[in-house]
Amino acid sequence: MKTNIYLLFSFLLIFSSCQKEDEVQLLNIVSERFDNLYAPQNGGVDQRTGQFSPISGEFTKFNFSTGQVTNSDTDWDVAFRATDIIINGGTSLGTIDEPSRNGNAAVYIANGTMAAITAVDLQSLSQDADSGYAIPSGGGNGWYTYQGPPVNLISPTPGKILVFRTNDGKYAKMEILSYYKNAPDSPDAYTDESKYYTFNYVYQPNEGELGF
Amino acid sequence: MRQLSNLPLPVKLISNQEITKSNSSRLSDILDDQSGIFIVSDFGGGNGIQIQGLDSQYTLLLIDGSPIIGRQSGTLDLDRISIGNIEQIEIIKGSSSSLYGTDAIGGVVNLITTMTNDSISADISYKFSSFNTNDISMNIGKISNKGHNLNLYFNSFNSEGYDLNDNPVLNTVEPYKSYTGFLRHNFKKNKWSFFSSSRIYNENQDFTLDLNSYGRNIINESSINTSINFQNNESHKFVFENYFTNYKNDEEYDLNQNSIDESFFDQSLFKSELRSIFKNDVKNTLTIGLGFYSETLKRNNFYKDKVSQNSFNYFVQYEGFIFKNTNYIFGARYDQYDEYESEFSPRFAIRTQINDNISSKISIGKGFKTPDFRQLYFNFSNSNSGYSVIGFNAAKEIIYNLQNLGQISNLIISEEEFSGNLKPESSISFNLGFNINTYKNIIFDLNFFRNQIQNLIDYKIIATKLNGQSIFSYYNLNKVYTQGIEFNTAFRLLNDFKINFGYQYLEAKDNEAKNQIKKGEVFARLTPNSPAFQIKPKDYYGLYNRSRHNLNLKISYVTKNNFEVYFKSKYRSKYGISDTNGNNLLDDFDEFVDSNLLSDMSISKKYKNYNLTFGVDNLFNYTDPVNIPNYPGRIIYSKLNIKL
Repeated sequence: MKTNIYLLFSFLLIFSSCQKEDEVQLLNIVSERFDNLYAPQNGGVDQRTGQFSPISGEFTKFNFSTGQVTNSDTDWDVAFRATDIIINGGTSLGTIDEPSRNGNAAVYIANGTMAAITAVDLQSLSQDADSGYAIPSGGGNGWYTYQGPPVNLISPTPGKILVFRTNDGKYAKMEILSYYKNAPDSPDAYTDESKYYTFNYVYQPNEGELGF
Repeated sequence: MRQLSNLPLPVKLISNQEITKSNSSRLSDILDDQSGIFIVSDFGGGNGIQIQGLDSQYTLLLIDGSPIIGRQSGTLDLDRISIGNIEQIEIIKGSSSSLYGTDAIGGVVNLITTMTNDSISADISYKFSSFNTNDISMNIGKISNKGHNLNLYFNSFNSEGYDLNDNPVLNTVEPYKSYTGFLRHNFKKNKWSFFSSSRIYNENQDFTLDLNSYGRNIINESSINTSINFQNNESHKFVFENYFTNYKNDEEYDLNQNSIDESFFDQSLFKSELRSIFKNDVKNTLTIGLGFYSETLKRNNFYKDKVSQNSFNYFVQYEGFIFKNTNYIFGARYDQYDEYESEFSPRFAIRTQINDNISSKISIGKGFKTPDFRQLYFNFSNSNSGYSVIGFNAAKEIIYNLQNLGQISNLIISEEEFSGNLKPESSISFNLGFNINTYKNIIFDLNFFRNQIQNLIDYKIIATKLNGQSIFSYYNLNKVYTQGIEFNTAFRLLNDFKINFGYQYLEAKDNEAKNQIKKGEVFARLTPNSPAFQIKPKDYYGLYNRSRHNLNLKISYVTKNNFEVYFKSKYRSKYGISDTNGNNLLDDFDEFVDSNLLSDMSISKKYKNYNLTFGVDNLFNYTDPVNIPNYPGRIIYSKLNIKL
């Protein structure tokens, strides 16, 4: 798995350090791209028989502070299973193999480009609940658009930015770029492998900082 | 028959001569030749009409004034209608529910069947074309000594189909055959005149799904139409009409030789109408009437075994003159429904002969379409891809039951949203037209149109089940509009050299999508590796399947020794059939179906009672198997017609 790390200077850091020399140095904001996070599921439509069976399987968990996929039951922020995205905050919906929530993560979907979302809107944050995920499932509702037959493609809806509070109270934003392996330019639902997330994310590692 | 061109409405007439000259076999062929009209194939199969940018489901199709039914997925398949006994096709564009009730949003297409003028007549045609397609038509007419006018029509149409894909088993269109029978009777005695007709249609198609699975599709249609006309006195008459029609489709699959899957669709409509018509002088006519509809449907994947609906309607129409040069129509109709809001549909139209050369027409009317049974009672689960689609009325109970069983994981629509009724889709349509006759031989026709539709019914996800399945239902969701300009001109260079040219500019957009773009809420991305950007209002292309530009050219030339050469060509500019960049609407950054130009040519020679034609459709062999499977490629044909 390949990850490219870009470290950016925080404007806040520059300005605040100019004004007060004795202030604690802030950590740099992390801006990265994560390629091919694999989020399989069992059940659903069987590719071979075409039959539908209840969905199950472990969610693939991700931690913003390490920038890595994790198996930890507690130190995760967001997790993926096929097109479903859950967060480590709130209540479980109770689907098969769904992990229990023990952190304080929250999320909302903002409209805009990645660069245009410059601060977290705390009012908009919500958590998973037993009546539904904070990131609504289904094409056209949450992060993706389902383009029906004959192409049957799942495309991340452009301009949908997921803004997170992490399980330990920091903030991050994420733009999903592709649902297909190696993020092909023109994906083909029949030949490209699906359930591979490629996304950009920006992580604000400083406690209480709402800006990116 | 009255002169429809004098009506203050945008009307297009297609004469029997034009139908004959075009060598069309099916209604879809001849309508496709008209400017501003597109024939669009849909996924469920079937070629439907698009008028003023409005889909097939918003257009009413009538034979001798009575509606054709059998819209399984909304589209009325025009390939079902053979046109060998059609005297005239009348197309009224724009909403006309004030006279016709439901479905008349985009317009009304009325086919007038033939009635013989001779004591005995016969007309026989045989057309043989590519893909081993045989089209045989026979018209026999007789007027008896007592004045009974009888007309019998029979058509047999069969084709080997065609294959545009690489799949060795599947064909694009499988072989099929169809038969049409039509009998019409007219009789007049004293103050009474009687009309009755009966139509039957049968279509058979066998198909293969893979090496071990095959199936059959059978359509049967039948209808009886009667009208009694009583001329009370010179200025008053009654018309009493009764019509019954039934459409049946059965489909069977033998899957791997062990399981059989069946689907069926059985729809009936009974319509009764009484009109009282007062003509106080030649120019002013008052029509008042009332009607009754009863519709039933049995089909698989339905919430109930059989659904039915009765409705009453009341209408009034006044046609009159104000000044010497101005005539107008005021009409209104009230349709009373139990299942949803009743509809009141007025229309006003006015035509002024400005001077000897120029006349203008303005019409404003309301149109509506009631939700169809599928949108109310559908109960379909696709076990293959794990989703369900349920009708609005069925949704209340189905969701309630699933909730009690604890199977709903996420209810996206609140329960209150189920409590009401689905509203009929409704439109307001505006047309402004000018007709210019500058010289004897040239006619210009210009029409501006706008249709604003609200409460458009679409489906959206309403809940997800615990096992991950999504449930969709139908809702009043969108507001859309279509607007544009249609221009037609006809001129005669010499007596035997005629040119027709038509053009339509069309914009069809969703009001809400337009607003979202204006507010800067819609984005696009060219590839996953390039950044998303905000799209601008000018980037919004509009609704799917709509071309901005449509050009149409017809040239006919008759040589001295009675050879007739006919050339026609139509151009349709690019259009989109789906959103390819994930933002749920069609914008300039999506993939489009290329513009296309189709040209047909024929030569025919008349000799005594015989007419022999040789022709080529789609001269340049244009195909696009993925996007336009209903274009089979070049078709070569010959046709023999004998009139006795």
